[in-house]
Amino acid sequence: MTADISTPTVESIGAWLTERVAEYVDAPKESIASDVPFGEYGLDSVAAFTVCTDIEDHLGLVLEPTVLWDHPTIDALSAFLVGELNTAR
Amino acid sequence: MTAGAPARLAAHTVAAVLSGRSGPGGPFDPAELARLDEAEEFPAAACAELDAAGLPDWYVPARFGGALAELPDVMAVMRATARRDLTVAIAHGKTFLGSVSVWVAGSADQAAALASAVRSGGIVSWGLTERDHGSDLMAGAVTATRHGDGWVLDGAKWLINNATRADLMCVLARTEPGGGPRGFSVFLADLRDPRPGTVRRTPKLRTHGIRGADISGVEFTGAAAVLVGDEGAGIEITLKALQLTRTTCTVLSLGAGDHAVAIAAEFLRERVLGRRRLSDVPRMRRVLGEAATGVLLAEAAAVVAARSAHTLPDELSVTSALVKAFVPTAVEQSIEQLAELMGTRGFLTADYRHGEFAKLERDHRIVGLFDGSTLVNRASLITQFPRLARRNALDVTTTVCLAEPLPTLDTARLVLVSRTGNAIVSGLSSALAELPAEFADLADALLRESGAVHAELARHRPVARAVPTAAFRLAERYELLFAAAAAVHVWVANPASRWERGCWLRACLTLALTRLGVPVDGADDAYEDVAAAVLAHGAVSLLDGGRA
Repeated sequence: MTADISTPTVESIGAWLTERVAEYVDAPKESIASDVPFGEYGLDSVAAFTVCTDIEDHLGLVLEPTVLWDHPTIDALSAFLVGELNTAR
Repeated sequence: MTAGAPARLAAHTVAAVLSGRSGPGGPFDPAELARLDEAEEFPAAACAELDAAGLPDWYVPARFGGALAELPDVMAVMRATARRDLTVAIAHGKTFLGSVSVWVAGSADQAAALASAVRSGGIVSWGLTERDHGSDLMAGAVTATRHGDGWVLDGAKWLINNATRADLMCVLARTEPGGGPRGFSVFLADLRDPRPGTVRRTPKLRTHGIRGADISGVEFTGAAAVLVGDEGAGIEITLKALQLTRTTCTVLSLGAGDHAVAIAAEFLRERVLGRRRLSDVPRMRRVLGEAATGVLLAEAAAVVAARSAHTLPDELSVTSALVKAFVPTAVEQSIEQLAELMGTRGFLTADYRHGEFAKLERDHRIVGLFDGSTLVNRASLITQFPRLARRNALDVTTTVCLAEPLPTLDTARLVLVSRTGNAIVSGLSSALAELPAEFADLADALLRESGAVHAELARHRPVARAVPTAAFRLAERYELLFAAAAAVHVWVANPASRWERGCWLRACLTLALTRLGVPVDGADDAYEDVAAAVLAHGAVSLLDGGRA
């Protein structure tokens, strides 16, 4: 079951990102807190590039590969992505 | 005059200078270089000779007043040196590698000042690694803190090429106590006249290869330094600089490969076994031909990658990792084959040409380690598999037409992930379609392999921890595909490269397919053609009408 991102809100994007990060670091999604930096879950700076690619593909955005470096939590990244999506529309 | 001609002239001039200075007692006398290696002494006279020959000009981009217009330029010049002596090439070329971060991210004033220092013979080093932190850039513990209008560095850099001899050093230092990808910045430290007690050089380490090189360290205690680029951009700047230096470093391997092939060819021509010259023994020729083919395949990959830095800079995160993993590995295999051929580990040839072969064999092992090991580069490729799974349709004409002038290298277009994957591999099938019918079997086999590799790339599921061994093997297969694609593109686009009826392509594709695990008919004949060319000319090359 994939989170619904048809209406991009900080909550829906956040839920979708939580699933991606959980899948990527192989941990239950309940264990991923939205205000804890990605690095603390074992998602290192280089692995962040792969997640960025995933986000680009799923949201149809073109992002700087360093987007997870500059927005290093689910909350920060969701807020940023919602802004990008609204600009892109 | 074609593009790149000044660099080829420079490379020829350098080669001629080195040749003229390699007589008995000269700084490039193999006996003298062997003595220094034995004594673990720095080849200072040889480096001074390179300064006098104007090499440092090629380390400075044209826009800052140097001679470097195209990346293949500096590579041609460094290869000419590496072909003589790898220790010297690494010791001298470090100034280019150490300066790249400033060419990428420095202000106009910083670049101008560094350009002037380099062109007047200043030695620039690159302080990345630290003791106990391996190649993990973000584990670095050297700190930079604000001090008045500037910054001061504290902590020790270790295992640094030319740390003792350097006048200037580019240093990656922590600017946020917690570190992280935005917690580091790049600094330029002037080590020539530091405040007393702020800079201490730590002794040269003993190394297995490049024994005379100054692999040492430096300890900073409140040493003054200037920020290069933005605060917090250090990891990004360094990864971009590494894309350029990883591409450039491949010529160190090519030079060592040229050197090894030339020594082996001479050895086979000189030695007689029974009533036959070794160069007439088919088994010997086969090994020589295969080893030389390995160097040619590596050359195709390196040359195309170097040109792509100008034409496809946004793919360089992939391309530089591909060639930095592939070229040293392929050349290493060639050197090992030739070592076995010559029996250099036996007493018979230990002193052959002052042990030059054994020395280059030792020296070359370091190339696969510095500026990111083969493993580090493959790991970087693996994170980009989702993009590599897709083919793009970008035009590669300028990239692969070796006589075409290149657009200016735009470092602002370097990015940390290639959004388009790799255009050279993507263009493989259309390049194969241009080959004459005699290559049909090889072309079909390559297309099948390309299909299989891309299918596997598409199936790859990224994971953060414990990257599976299969992913590393897949990266290795993609490297072979890239090298084969580069060879096909070069052959198709450059009729001038097809010496001896273009026999090198059959040999290169045979080698690539064999290493991909695909058996190929007629391998003996393919390698024999290359062996014949090597024995006739010494080393061979895809450039310059076949003469390396």
